[in-house]
Amino acid sequence: MISFSFLLFLTEADQAFVTLATTDAYSMGALVVGKSLRRHGTRKRLVAMVSPNVTREARLSLEEVFDEVILVNVLDSQDRAHLSYLGRPELGVTFTKLHCWTLTKYSKCVFLDADTLVLCNVDELFDREELSAAPDQGWPDCFNTGVFVFIPSLETHGQLLQHAAKHGSFDGGDQGLLNSFFSDWALKDISKHLPFVYNLSVSALYTYLPAFYKFGHQAKIVHFLGGTKPWHFRYNQQTNQISPGDLDRILEQYVNLWWREFYSHTQQQVIKADSHPDTGLTQHSFVSRPRQSEKKSAPAQAVSTLQTSSPPLDTQGTVAETQTKEEERSLELRLLTLDEVSSEQPDSSVQTSPSEQPEEMHTHPKDVSGPEAEYSAYADLHNPAPGQGGTGREPEAAGGSPTPSEEPAPEPTPVETEEEKQQHRRMWEEGHADYMGKDAFDNIKKKLDRFLE
Amino acid sequence: MPLVRSLSVTSLLEDWDEEFDLEDAILFEIAWEVANKVGGIYTVIQTKARLTCEEWGENYFLVGPYMESNVRTQVELIEPSNPALRRTIDKMNSSGCKVYFGRWLIEGSPYVVLIDVGFTAWCLDRWKSELWEHCGIGVPWFDREANDAVLFGFLTAWLLGEFAAQCEEPPHIVAHFHEWLAGLGLVLCRQRHLPVATIFTTHATLLGRYLCAGNVDFYNNLSEFNLDKEAGDRQIYHRYCLERAAARCAHVFTTVSKITAIEAEHLLKRKPDIVTPNGLNVKKFSAMHEFQNLHAQSKARIQEFIRGHFYGHLDFNLDKTVFLFIAGRYEFSNKGADIFLEALARLNYLLRVNHSEITVIAFFIMPARTNNFNVETLKGQAVRKQLWDTAHTVKERFGKKLYESLLVGQLPDVSKMLDKEDFTMMKRAIFATQRQCQPPICTHNMLEDSTDPILNCIRRIGLFNSSQDRVKVIFHPEFLSSTSPLLPMDYEDFVRGCHLGVFPSYYEPWGYTPAECTVMGIPSISTNLSGFGCFMEEHIADPTAYGIYILDRRYRSVDESCNQLTSFLYQFCQQSRRQRIIQRNRTERLSDLLDWRYLGNYYMCARHMALAKAFPDTYIYEPHDPTATQGFRYPRPASVPPSPAHSLHSSPHHSEAEDEDERYDEDLEAEKDRVNIRQPVTLPYRNKSLTPLPEKN
Repeated sequence: MISFSFLLFLTEADQAFVTLATTDAYSMGALVVGKSLRRHGTRKRLVAMVSPNVTREARLSLEEVFDEVILVNVLDSQDRAHLSYLGRPELGVTFTKLHCWTLTKYSKCVFLDADTLVLCNVDELFDREELSAAPDQGWPDCFNTGVFVFIPSLETHGQLLQHAAKHGSFDGGDQGLLNSFFSDWALKDISKHLPFVYNLSVSALYTYLPAFYKFGHQAKIVHFLGGTKPWHFRYNQQTNQISPGDLDRILEQYVNLWWREFYSHTQQQVIKADSHPDTGLTQHSFVSRPRQSEKKSAPAQAVSTLQTSSPPLDTQGTVAETQTKEEERSLELRLLTLDEVSSEQPDSSVQTSPSEQPEEMHTHPKDVSGPEAEYSAYADLHNPAPGQGGTGREPEAAGGSPTPSEEPAPEPTPVETEEEKQQHRRMWEEGHADYMGKDAFDNIKKKLDRFLE
Repeated sequence: MPLVRSLSVTSLLEDWDEEFDLEDAILFEIAWEVANKVGGIYTVIQTKARLTCEEWGENYFLVGPYMESNVRTQVELIEPSNPALRRTIDKMNSSGCKVYFGRWLIEGSPYVVLIDVGFTAWCLDRWKSELWEHCGIGVPWFDREANDAVLFGFLTAWLLGEFAAQCEEPPHIVAHFHEWLAGLGLVLCRQRHLPVATIFTTHATLLGRYLCAGNVDFYNNLSEFNLDKEAGDRQIYHRYCLERAAARCAHVFTTVSKITAIEAEHLLKRKPDIVTPNGLNVKKFSAMHEFQNLHAQSKARIQEFIRGHFYGHLDFNLDKTVFLFIAGRYEFSNKGADIFLEALARLNYLLRVNHSEITVIAFFIMPARTNNFNVETLKGQAVRKQLWDTAHTVKERFGKKLYESLLVGQLPDVSKMLDKEDFTMMKRAIFATQRQCQPPICTHNMLEDSTDPILNCIRRIGLFNSSQDRVKVIFHPEFLSSTSPLLPMDYEDFVRGCHLGVFPSYYEPWGYTPAECTVMGIPSISTNLSGFGCFMEEHIADPTAYGIYILDRRYRSVDESCNQLTSFLYQFCQQSRRQRIIQRNRTERLSDLLDWRYLGNYYMCARHMALAKAFPDTYIYEPHDPTATQGFRYPRPASVPPSPAHSLHSSPHHSEAEDEDERYDEDLEAEKDRVNIRQPVTLPYRNKSLTPLPEKN
């Protein structure tokens, strides 16, 4: 008996759910995927792949939920023509998905897109073979790559890359590639067709509404296809609702569920983060191990992430429309966030040492050589700005792992550490520039004036 | 705060034909609306192109975004003519961009460089990092337009940088950027120290539009706004930063009007170096008074529509009916629809107590959400058609009888000409025209009927088209089209058929609508808060005589402005038919003033200024002393003003009428006006082969 259960344990540990976050916004989604799997008591391991531009805070909060968080270098699609054709250029990074085939320490995996939401235990998916997936709503003879079962193998991975290089992808994204690679999916083996309830695309509901009313309650995994993701809506934590009227009712219901999942257990996690400060990055073959010193700031960062990565709540512009209660709350939140930022500053600046710079280089913008870095016989001569004298590499070639070049000795001038800079920039990108404080235009003007004279 | 006469309008007129050698200079004009119609900037660039082409020939390139549907209809893709530019485009295309070259199929057929922004979206994150590094401005991921602006900015800067690098010896490049969407390119040019003379033109400020729509007393508080806070609270902080950064970095900064210049001075913290007003390509008719004939034709068509619309209530004389209209985007208070309605209510009262014979019909052409035409209005047109048919049938029968009796050599017996059957037919037709309800206000079924601001305002002031009302209102919540079953006219014909355009806008950086009226010879009311109004006020000594009524909304309260508007309208109604004709002639003569051939000079000056600033060794531009020259103005017309502007309406006009006939001499007056505006310069043709232009009269 004991040996049996031991065996069982083994099988569980070498199977995993895998998801992928390529931006901070998508890591909100990945977080929800992880949480919803945990809530429904999965016995498999949870793995999140993140690309280097995902901030450390976001990675840390993923680590609270996932067994393993793996840093993956973005492998961009070679075939940009198709991408722009679709008008969804952001799809290109989903090629990073292919990297999941290298997770060879697992014998079988199920991939879930970061914009899915799991509604019940779906461990039975592991009974399926590679490559099992649900039909795509737009062309049911193709499968949708939001949910699929696969077997990690370096060989398959290599073939996939080769296939990509040779044939490209007919829709410019990973779905086109995988469908042409596993081209016998449609006809050969019906057991590889997952039922639609495992990948219910919410946007498709209206094409056959009666079917949804009949079978909708059986849905197991919901997939928020399309340009608008659940994290794009404003969610009011008081009423546990997104602001009504934006959506049709069915979608609204699922988005509300998503947000409830997003906020669930937040409290416990913060506490957990406090008591186990030692969770760090899982090491992956080509990632240099993060320094110990860096980890110490983790808990504080994690808290601030949770506060700040809920953008909709404290958006300034909508305060007038919402009720006073909410106003107070959002004010409180804003104050909290501000407190955090200010109290963090001395702390982390102490911790930043030149020694950890190379690690940061992964996300450092100057590091990446780009197309316009190579124009400029002229600019090379006349442009004093650093990082402009690129090597003239094709931009696509930048896919290889960046080797940390030697950073000059820490400049004396910057007040912000690299990390705070990232955080600062993220605040802007979430629409929370500190326009009354450090982001006032006068400060921007000073920056401009540096190159005007 | 009194307005200081700007440099723009006064001094430039002295030195139009200043020598400026542009042989080795290249002009790039960069805007998001090049070959891509989104709003008004498209019109500006499209109409201006011909003149700029004449000046710069082969060395003029417009730069815009590549949009497939637009390219299919408006652009002919060709190989770049300029070798350096061809190398530039090849280089960019081989580095992961998509750049197209072609001719824009508009007058002047300028060269366009179109950049596919979406194709380079994969660079967005890196470029945003770079923007963050150099300027400290971040762009939120959810603002698609702003992200496009980032891509477009980096791509245009790349284009300019690459072009400069590809030229054997550095040329003198002028890059003219329009609006914040293109502004980032300018900032990057400066940041990279490219050899480019930069001009930034803003056609309105982002913040200004938002603040005005928010019902604040905008112009009186201009200096008091906390800009960062206002922009941040409205969630446009990043856009505002981009706009302000561009204004800050430009060698030469311009706006389209004096009023926007004041706005920019406060909201972007930079005083424009020169004002570059928007022009039109004025079409001149060969026959002197062709536009008057067109007015008569179009008016007849509007009258037909009115006959149908008011069937059963046609108790007013259509020959003594004045057509007013307001048109534009549906911004109730920014466009001044609020005070127009209020003034109409007051005008109605005035006309009634004075027992005026004049009826006023005011059209509101402002597109709103509708659910197609309303049955009652369609029925009106059907009834009119039926009456017309009946009359026609009776006429035919009558004519036949007449003919037959003449054939047999008898004079017709009048009592027998119409028989019983005819009378029955006519009775039946009249019976059908009976109507229980009032003629409708709105021609369409509104989707938001109960909350619509215009309809609610009409309900409040009680203008319901009843027979006692001297002012009737028709709200047409859709743009006009010549295929409409209701009022089958396009906008231009409609404007020609009206008597007066009313545009009492509160926020109007330029205002093409009154300008269009002017070139068609239709008088208009604008305000001293609109670019057009400011411009006219400065150029004409007595605008009212020329049919340009300028409302003071800057220094007066709303109520006072409203009274002034009422008095303008009342004055206009008091004019005789002949006075209106004279006024239209004068209005039409102003069109020279609005022609690009004249206004294009301001753009020329802006470019010269920029060249002189960026390449001081090669070019010199001497700014003129604004105080030394007197502003040029159209004088008061030689004869008395046609409108009783300066006499009380109770004064007896009729006694003057004869006098006036003698005093008014159209040709003499026109001649005087012509001397007063210097004929626009004729530019030497460059080597580019252009289709010969229609000669101006």
